[in-house]
Amino acid sequence: MVSSYFKELFDKVNQGPLAYILITVHVIAGTYLVYTEPRSNLAFLVLITSFMSLYFFQADVRFKLFVGAVLALVIIPVVGVRNIFYLEVIFQISVFAALALGLNIVVGFAGLLDLGYVAFYAVGAYLWAFFGSQQFYVLHYAPGTQPSDLPFLLPGDAFYMFLLVGVVIAGLTGILLGLPVLRLKGDYLAIVTLGFGEVIRVLANNLDKPLNFTNGPQGITPIQRPTMPDFAVDWFNTIFSPLVGHPISPADMYNLMFYIYALIVIIVIIFVTRRLDDSKLGRAWTAVREDETAAIAQGIPLVRMKLTAFAVGASFAGVMGVLLAASRTFISPESFSFMQSIGVLTMVILGGSGSIPGVILGAAVVTTLNLQVLQGFSLYLNELRQSDAVIPVINFAWKDLSTQLDPAKYQKLFFGLILILMMIFRPAGLIPAKRRKRQVAPEESK
Amino acid sequence: MKRFLRYINVYELIRPIGQLLTFSVGSAALMSAIVVALALVLDQTAVGVHLMDKLNVTVFNYTLSNLPQVVIDGLTIGFVYAAIALGYTMVYGVLQFINFAHSEIFAVGAFVGVELLIFLQSAGVLAGASLFMAYAYLLLAIIMGMLAAGGLAVAVERIAYRPLRGASRLVPLISAIGVSFLLQDVIRLVEGLTTGQFNRIMPTFGNFDERIIFGKLSMGASKLVLGISIKSIIVIVVAVLMLVCLNYLVNATRVGKAIRAVAQDMPTASLMGINVNRIISLTFLVGGLLGGAAGVLYALKFTRIDPFVGFFPGLKAFTAAVLGGIGNMTGALLGGIILGMLETFAGSYMGIFTMGAAGSEYKDIFAFGILILVLIFRPQGLMGKNVGQKA
Amino acid sequence: MALLEIANITKTFGGLKAISDVTFSLDKGRIVSIIGPNGAGKTSFFNTLTGIYKPDSGAITFNGKSLLGLRPDQIAARGISRTFQNIRLFADMTVIENIMVGMHVHYKQSALAILFRLESFKKEERESEQKALRLMKYVGLKNVENELAKNLPYGAQRRLEIARALAADPQLLLLDEPAAGMNPQETEDIIQLFRNIRDKMGITILLIEHDMRVVMNISEDICVMDYGVKIAQGTPAEIRNNTRVIEAYLGRGAVAGQHEEKMQ
Ligand SMILES: Nc1ncnc2c1ncn2[C@@H]1O[C@H](COP(=O)(O)OP(=O)(O)O)[C@@H](O)[C@H]1O
Ligand SMILES: [Mg+2]
Repeated sequence: MVSSYFKELFDKVNQGPLAYILITVHVIAGTYLVYTEPRSNLAFLVLITSFMSLYFFQADVRFKLFVGAVLALVIIPVVGVRNIFYLEVIFQISVFAALALGLNIVVGFAGLLDLGYVAFYAVGAYLWAFFGSQQFYVLHYAPGTQPSDLPFLLPGDAFYMFLLVGVVIAGLTGILLGLPVLRLKGDYLAIVTLGFGEVIRVLANNLDKPLNFTNGPQGITPIQRPTMPDFAVDWFNTIFSPLVGHPISPADMYNLMFYIYALIVIIVIIFVTRRLDDSKLGRAWTAVREDETAAIAQGIPLVRMKLTAFAVGASFAGVMGVLLAASRTFISPESFSFMQSIGVLTMVILGGSGSIPGVILGAAVVTTLNLQVLQGFSLYLNELRQSDAVIPVINFAWKDLSTQLDPAKYQKLFFGLILILMMIFRPAGLIPAKRRKRQVAPEESK
Repeated sequence: MKRFLRYINVYELIRPIGQLLTFSVGSAALMSAIVVALALVLDQTAVGVHLMDKLNVTVFNYTLSNLPQVVIDGLTIGFVYAAIALGYTMVYGVLQFINFAHSEIFAVGAFVGVELLIFLQSAGVLAGASLFMAYAYLLLAIIMGMLAAGGLAVAVERIAYRPLRGASRLVPLISAIGVSFLLQDVIRLVEGLTTGQFNRIMPTFGNFDERIIFGKLSMGASKLVLGISIKSIIVIVVAVLMLVCLNYLVNATRVGKAIRAVAQDMPTASLMGINVNRIISLTFLVGGLLGGAAGVLYALKFTRIDPFVGFFPGLKAFTAAVLGGIGNMTGALLGGIILGMLETFAGSYMGIFTMGAAGSEYKDIFAFGILILVLIFRPQGLMGKNVGQKA
Repeated sequence: MALLEIANITKTFGGLKAISDVTFSLDKGRIVSIIGPNGAGKTSFFNTLTGIYKPDSGAITFNGKSLLGLRPDQIAARGISRTFQNIRLFADMTVIENIMVGMHVHYKQSALAILFRLESFKKEERESEQKALRLMKYVGLKNVENELAKNLPYGAQRRLEIARALAADPQLLLLDEPAAGMNPQETEDIIQLFRNIRDKMGITILLIEHDMRVVMNISEDICVMDYGVKIAQGTPAEIRNNTRVIEAYLGRGAVAGQHEEKMQ
């Protein structure tokens, strides 16, 4: 009832020049708020939700592209270097969006539940962590005992090559794992992939002996970044420093650079995903998801199609892993836990499995929930604890509130709730996947 | 009395005990033979030399002197796995669905039992309790853990699975993963808010930590102590009792017949007037009861629990269920025992046998290796029938 | 040489012999029916033929080449397409996509062509869309190309399944109870469609059917199964008068009268 009323209202405003005006107003309002209140979470939420306006309102594609580009390439970098936390949030959203897009191919398109997806992310990350650090020369030292003056194996700029190597190696890992297990029925596959995820994490934790490949739980650091040309910083400063208000340092510029790289990777991933989806491959994946028996009777080789889905999904995670290792200059097994896999799954399910805009939205919502809403809430509770405030009716002093009640630490609870509620009430997600409508041209005369 | 006895199906009471005995002795003998043979071989290699340098024993002697304890430990944990695995297998048998949240049902059972005992301890009753009362309290803890876990399992099915029946297979599975995550944090939250911490320790009371020593054998330089801790005996006895009861329920009662009917063919069972929803609830209840008891037993054996305590035992029990043949109750027993044995043997000997390159830190992922091998080479499990897919 | 030759195949499930030593051959360009009471093993026979079940023993040759040991997708690629007794469409895909999936074995598009939308890719997609549209028209589906398959009415779903099977350009089409649940008019239409498929497209048809109007009307040859055993084969007239067949049906108590009626 209510929702249909809102839909009508939305349809009414969502047409003609009004839509353009609303988009513009939203972007400008968001920018203004963040610019004047650089510490406010709310202001930042207003700004990033303008991507949703951009998606939902009807406007010319060129206009949308233009506004999107201004948002991503001018506004976000500027407000991002003014408050580096925003840039971090956006960077994480981008990383998770890429992961969610990769998992979406496996879960959303091919219908294979992969519960160990971050294992491939770990493969990419450890790949660059090993080759882009001193780890090669640490092989024979126990963790923490190596001399500090060891050389690096490869120059930092090998990073660019490793983006590709990451794609290939993670894809191969996907095939290697997939070969034995993709014959299994769906729910067994879920458990086996979960197991594989754990295996990778345990290996990362313990392969510090007999040869020290991973440096164990302490993780590998420092990992190199690609070199930053001096002109990039100068160039940014000449153009943007009036807007930013101060010249930025090379460190900030690195953050910007990785943000831009993440954007590029996402755009490539979206591009690849859409094209694969709209081809015999994508159709075969969906057919396999819908009905394996019917699909195989149609001549679709099940195992090969599932392997392809696994490999493509894995390779997306691989490239993001390489990017992550370089941008953080440090990685440890902790970043690749089962919870991370479920986190990415939650993004896919929340947004809408099989739906590209859906899973990006899912990644954005879950990441902001984690980084901003829950943490903001935790901070707020802390402030209350330090105050003398009292809850009126029940006469409860905030001071006495247990420090265990720290929403930021209860991500699992929220992941769990999201998964259950979505399955019961909206299994297709916030933005359900839509099948493309085909306008078939009239028959050509031969 | 005589008439009453006539109604008891004695065969169904004895049969599972016989099975358990066969499985235990068989797997213990097999595993022991393998490690002893390996030890003999390794004594001729660098591994033997290395151990001689370090501890001044041969691999053979080392292996043998640890063997009794390893077998007992393997059995104990194997029975715990079997009890959990039965929960997975029964639900799978009826609904073809992996109840991913079963591991948290287990954890809740453990927490309820342990919290009860901690409460009794702080009330001062545990410290001075007589031996009889100590056992009574332990029994009470087990029963409370069972009831809490059983009730929770039924509630979870009602709320998070039943509305999804008939949806595609992945939908209830994803919901179950959600429940599992939710419960982990709910346990953490509740424990955190009420007790300020979420790592809980099983109180020490009674004579559970003592060991009964049967005798000593001297083996050249080293001594072989034949003994068993009372804890282990309790775990094994309680687990065996439960398994026998469950077997009786399923194989020798009317309700059990209904459960088997629903597992075989739900629509037909429903046409025959069986209330399918009641049977499903009952299945979750029974699985939950077993899981809850297993939780308390686990806490008794390993002492320390935390909200994530269910994760690995749950996965291993699932592996056990698959290993035995999912949907098959005898298979779950066999799978649990084998897995417990394999894991304990691997955890105890791998470090020595590989000169420390890979030791017990790989114990937890050992089960997955087995799971993958089973699924590749014998997906129907050791005792399952091969059922072709229907078209 | 016959298009399809089956020699002494047997398939058991546990103790149950679903197919028992069945020998059967099918010449190119014919329409042949398999009939038999429920549970006679007809669907299992199709499943064995299409590689979904592996026979315990026996030989299957298609176009002179053995099909044993091939996966279902490889058998489909050899030119055998099928429909299912309980319709199995790709429910959340559109009608036209369902048919385009049916063409899977014929696509030549490479990863490169897909990613860079090469001209060859675009041409192939365009052509398969048009072919799908032709097939829709052929089976009598109009203006529903962008509907989701699950939203079609029952009769249309049956037709769509046939169109999807035809999309692979098979030499042999296996139809599992295609007229089940249809009213007389629809049944009439679908009989016409089968004739058309055979006459115009030259596709050999093997169908399982309970509706004797369809069977007697269309079949040139009928194979009767009971309890996994082939008990008779012959023209409709021969089958009508075969005592073993009548017994097989009459022996079934309650349903007998109904079947007898249908057979007249
Ligand atoms: N996958 C299977 N597993 C076990 N039994 C099966 C399987 N498929 C078919 N059957 C059995 O084989 C027999 C023949 O079934 P089916 O081929 O479907 O008969 P029809 O199509 O003639 O009605 C039935 O008794 C059925 O239960
Ligand atoms: Mg049939």
